Amino acid sequence: MGTNYLRCNAGRTAAAAAVLLLAGVMVLVTPLSAGAANHKGIAVGSEAVVSGTWKATAATTSMTFTTNTFQTSMITNTGTIALSAISYKVTISNPASGTPTFKVFACAVAWVSNLCSGGAGTQAGATLAKNTTTTVSSTVVPAVAGNVYLQIEPASVTSSVTVTLGTSIAAPAQLRAAVKTNQ
Amino acid sequence: MSLHTRTRNKPRRHGKAMVAGLFAASVGLLTTAGVYAALSGVATGSEAVASGTLNLTLSADVGAGFSNFVGKMAPGDTDNVYVNLNNTGTLASAAGMTLWVAGTPANALTNGTAPGEGLTVTATQCSVAWTLATGVCSGTTTPILATAQISTMNTSGTAVSLSNVPSLAASTGQVAHVQVSLGLVGTETSTNGVAPTPTIQGLSTTLAYTFTEQQRTGIATNQ
Repeated sequence: MGTNYLRCNAGRTAAAAAVLLLAGVMVLVTPLSAGAANHKGIAVGSEAVVSGTWKATAATTSMTFTTNTFQTSMITNTGTIALSAISYKVTISNPASGTPTFKVFACAVAWVSNLCSGGAGTQAGATLAKNTTTTVSSTVVPAVAGNVYLQIEPASVTSSVTVTLGTSIAAPAQLRAAVKTNQ
Repeated sequence: MSLHTRTRNKPRRHGKAMVAGLFAASVGLLTTAGVYAALSGVATGSEAVASGTLNLTLSADVGAGFSNFVGKMAPGDTDNVYVNLNNTGTLASAAGMTLWVAGTPANALTNGTAPGEGLTVTATQCSVAWTLATGVCSGTTTPILATAQISTMNTSGTAVSLSNVPSLAASTGQVAHVQVSLGLVGTETSTNGVAPTPTIQGLSTTLAYTFTEQQRTGIATNQ
């Protein structure tokens, strides 16, 4: 046991000496490369950026009318950018009978007894006919994380007719005014 | 007992033999070198040489400089930062300088995956320091980079050449007061609360602006 230890030690000593000798020779024969600089001056700066989002959802997207009773839908700004306008895609089905028409009104607060703060609210677009798909826009917009309220006001409903409601927000036209920041 | 002693001494003799061999080899190499030196004729002259330096530094001109954060950027927004590019070396740079901007992580803000959309950069030099409050140059402005999509210059291989960089190209010690304008182009529509795919909305990235100057051309001197 003791013998093996001594042999191993001697072998390691010899190997280490050989490695050192080889390393020395390598240093001697390696050409100097001090002139290999890239001859460039480089400066780097950084800044972090986050983009906002612009989107809105309708709480009620489909309404079926069998009478001329008004119905409402709450619109929520689920984005992070304030809006200047919002569009609604309104699709009206083709009823079995009759020629109903519809109007879309927006209000910044919830409708009470068909009134917007005691008034009629702001109409989005014109009067809409049956069997059509129309995109109307409104400048009554919800604040970020806030709501506006639509009221769909039918007329001349004689049989079941469905109104489907969708939202769309186009950048940059329907976003807040551009901001210029100096910092 | 005697056998035990022999087994101890034998390895020592081997080790000594190896060390002796290495010593002899070293002596042989040194002797050879000595003989070579002895056979050489040597003449010595001397000259002093000092190498120049090529340094480009980036610091805030006015305001926060690049150490800023731009949050909730909307299409059409502009964020201006004001930096000084300073040639602090002892060597003039060659006329011209390049800039590339990398985004980490790379996403639709910087890599062009949302066609026609993403971040843009514009650079303008002012002959004096910029006025932070107004973003106005009270001296003379010189455009050095027209508005460019970052997606077109997001690698070192696609670095763009800055134009009209006289103060940096001329000589050492010169400072360029540069306004770097970051813009966002966005033309997409979100429908029913859902952004399109791909989208530039709700993304974050850290932009690294890399300015690079080249050393002036080499000079041959006869003296």
